[in-house]
Amino acid sequence: MLTTGQYLGSTGRLEATVGTFEFTDDHEALRSTVRAFVEETFPEAQVRRLMAAPSALERPVWERMARELGLQGLVVPEEHGGAGAGPVELAIVLEEFGRRLVPVPFLSTALATIALTGGDRAVTAGYLEAVAEGRVVATVALAEDDGGWDAAGVHCAAVSDDGDGGAGDRGGWRLTGTKSFVPDGMDADLLVVAARTPAGVGLFAVDGAADGVSRSELEVFDLTRRLARVRLDGVAATPLSAPADTAAFDRFLDAARVAVAAEQAGGADFTLAMAVGYAKERVQFGRAIGSFQAIKHLCADALVDVESARSAAYYGAWAIAQDSPEVATVAPLAKAFCSDTFFATAQTNMQVHGGISFTYEHPAHLYYRRAKSGAQLWGSPRANRDLLATRIGL
Amino acid sequence: MTARAGADVPVEASVEQVRAQVAAWLAENWQPGGGGPQWRERLVDSGWAAPTWPVEWFGRGLHRDLRRVVAEEFTRAGAKPAALDVTQLFANTILAHGTDEQKRSFVRPLALGEQQGCLLYSEPGAGSDLAALQTRAERDGDTWVVNGQKVWTSGAREATHGFLVARTDWDVPKHRGLTFFWLPLDQPGVDIRPIHQVTGGSEFNEVFLTDAVVADSHRLGEVDGGWRVLQTALGFERLIMGAAAGGSSRQRRPAGGGETTLADRQSPWTRQIGGADYVELAKKVGKADDPVTRQEIARLYTLEKVNAWNGLRARADAGRGASSPLASIGKLAMSRIVHTGVSVTTNLLGTSSVLDGDTDPVAAEVNRSSFAAFVTSIGGGTDQIQRNIIGERVLGLPREPEVDKLVPFREVRKAQATRRFS
Ligand SMILES: Cc1cc2nc3c(=O)[nH]c(=O)nc-3n(C[C@H](O)[C@H](O)[C@H](O)COP(=O)(O)OP(=O)(O)OC[C@H]3O[C@@H](n4cnc5c(N)ncnc54)[C@H](O)[C@@H]3O)c2cc1C
Repeated sequence: MLTTGQYLGSTGRLEATVGTFEFTDDHEALRSTVRAFVEETFPEAQVRRLMAAPSALERPVWERMARELGLQGLVVPEEHGGAGAGPVELAIVLEEFGRRLVPVPFLSTALATIALTGGDRAVTAGYLEAVAEGRVVATVALAEDDGGWDAAGVHCAAVSDDGDGGAGDRGGWRLTGTKSFVPDGMDADLLVVAARTPAGVGLFAVDGAADGVSRSELEVFDLTRRLARVRLDGVAATPLSAPADTAAFDRFLDAARVAVAAEQAGGADFTLAMAVGYAKERVQFGRAIGSFQAIKHLCADALVDVESARSAAYYGAWAIAQDSPEVATVAPLAKAFCSDTFFATAQTNMQVHGGISFTYEHPAHLYYRRAKSGAQLWGSPRANRDLLATRIGL
Repeated sequence: MTARAGADVPVEASVEQVRAQVAAWLAENWQPGGGGPQWRERLVDSGWAAPTWPVEWFGRGLHRDLRRVVAEEFTRAGAKPAALDVTQLFANTILAHGTDEQKRSFVRPLALGEQQGCLLYSEPGAGSDLAALQTRAERDGDTWVVNGQKVWTSGAREATHGFLVARTDWDVPKHRGLTFFWLPLDQPGVDIRPIHQVTGGSEFNEVFLTDAVVADSHRLGEVDGGWRVLQTALGFERLIMGAAAGGSSRQRRPAGGGETTLADRQSPWTRQIGGADYVELAKKVGKADDPVTRQEIARLYTLEKVNAWNGLRARADAGRGASSPLASIGKLAMSRIVHTGVSVTTNLLGTSSVLDGDTDPVAAEVNRSSFAAFVTSIGGGTDQIQRNIIGERVLGLPREPEVDKLVPFREVRKAQATRRFS
């Protein structure tokens, strides 16, 4: 099997396609490497085993992912031990993980990595190296009990230990508040926490083992993505950058929207493939059900959506790679569209499967759960469309 | 159709007469807060549990238009109307196709809930294409011996009997070789296994039939004439599913409390497809003033209302012994309602909709009902099949070409007959 490590070695580094919005051969090679890895390491039986296990994280696999494939280090800069790849490559990997509902904390760690790479390297270098080496699992704690996914929803208080608490204060900080809906929050060694300073909202690094951190697992609908509630009680924290850097915070949010959208596009694509596969195979009335236009058209409509979702996610990733001003509109657009598409496709898939889709043993419901819940994380379709409307001038 | 005159209320009875009759009967027999087996027995024997059934079969022989009046009086008195003539599909079907002996043996126990039915129609290889079923029944003197597998059988573990459709002739086209039975389940040849569902529960089952025995006296309709009986039974089922949550989103069943009606116990699914109270929920989550929410809820409310009104018209059309094509509209419309309801409630809850279980019982209910929505769009004939029925039987559009319609079933391309799900 060609690993990303070897692959990176042979080409030096991955590069986002510039100007053409088209995948290179290298991208396709990355995709097939990751797909092969995921299919081998996370077949459905393994996903179900991890679903039932106390934690979905198995450290040896996590370390192998870092060592052999360099996945955690994909978007970590080269000088910190990563591959220095960009959002396009990350989108490819997330899409592949999304296809198989891979339950390891990869998306969480990737989002935290995005936040870290946007911060001051003096602060984040050590974390980035640890992430790239597969030594830590990281996540982002953004929302709180009221479930907001933007700066306005951040109430967790950041108080400066000694400094003035102003924009330039880099001294020790303490966080107090409750974060919720934190993906993989139970397993994370490193928490990137959004907290409110007197000067505005900023992102802080918090050691999961620090005094004052207490976490509890939430009971959730999506069986392949775990969420936690994290209480912070005067916990020591380090700001990733100037605490009131709202531009950096917004950039992070947009990057997160696109990353999640890419994962959803992958889920939608796989779900449609399931429906189409079954439609070709299941016989009723002496013929395959896919020969009925009712089913054929459901699948064809779903394809229109799924391909559009992929385009949105790819374009979003590309726009970020280009540092294009379009990011502001594409990011909420992609998150809203991919969310809606994944959910609609998961519904179609249930419907095409008939009674079987209602059994726990069949995977259709696992995708339905991921799609339904995922739509509401990192901003609901409605919230993202609202943001889009604002950003296009309404 | 003229219903038979009741003992004390003739068919032509005016609304006022019926109202007075019901009120008088309730005044004498109903104690507020009452219920229980004795009440049920009195209710069934009075005929008010199924006002449109014939007088000699536990009804009042009333015209169907008067059902509503009876229900209103019950509700006014604080008693639940049983409306078995709408909801008791087993008794309804037996009344339509059974012999007098069968009606005598089965209708009262069914009405009292002493006997309970389940639907042994679907098989691993025969869902939408029910006529392709491969469970076989072979005659042995006065009895039939049954072998095969049924699946998705809701409520089979609670049931005493099942409506069984089995193949009795393999050398004729698929619709013409089926026979309909009322199969007793408590026997060695019947093995019922719960199927683990997406909702966490196991309301439905797979049923393995191995030399199961059913007396010929339990056969409904003619030998090889089962398709016709099945159409009647399916018609009654669609009527129930179309009406199950009709207009009831505002009248949420109180959790836990209250006696379950006979109708409740008939379908383990009706409980699950009733909607949430959107208006209350919107207020609770502080979105009552949100313009998008208001539009969505008003639209959903409209869909529910027009479907309820369609239902009133459909019921008026549903005569005995024939399935009403209008009922297909109700079920299809209900599918749209429940799936729309899922998106409305999910939007109302927003982020907290990702929670489940005891952490957030409201979210858990919304998520569970999001699966239950597929009971409506798949169970009892899928949305796609309902559309075909509407297109062909209601609108009279040309039928889809059927490759296997005239071919002896033995020669038809079949799906696999058995598959273990439990
Ligand atoms: C919750 C639940 C409870 C149920 N309870 C019972 C029960 O108590 N007893 C019982 O007997 N059955 C029961 N069923 C079974 C139910 O009736 C069948 O699932 C249903 O008829 C569909 O059959 P199937 O599952 O085999 O799907 P299939 O028939 O294989 O359908 C698969 C897909 O093909 C489509 N399709 C099939 N034929 C056509 C066509 N001609 N044109 C267009 N599209 C077509 C369907 O719409 C569906 O999307 C239950 C099902 C559910 C989900």
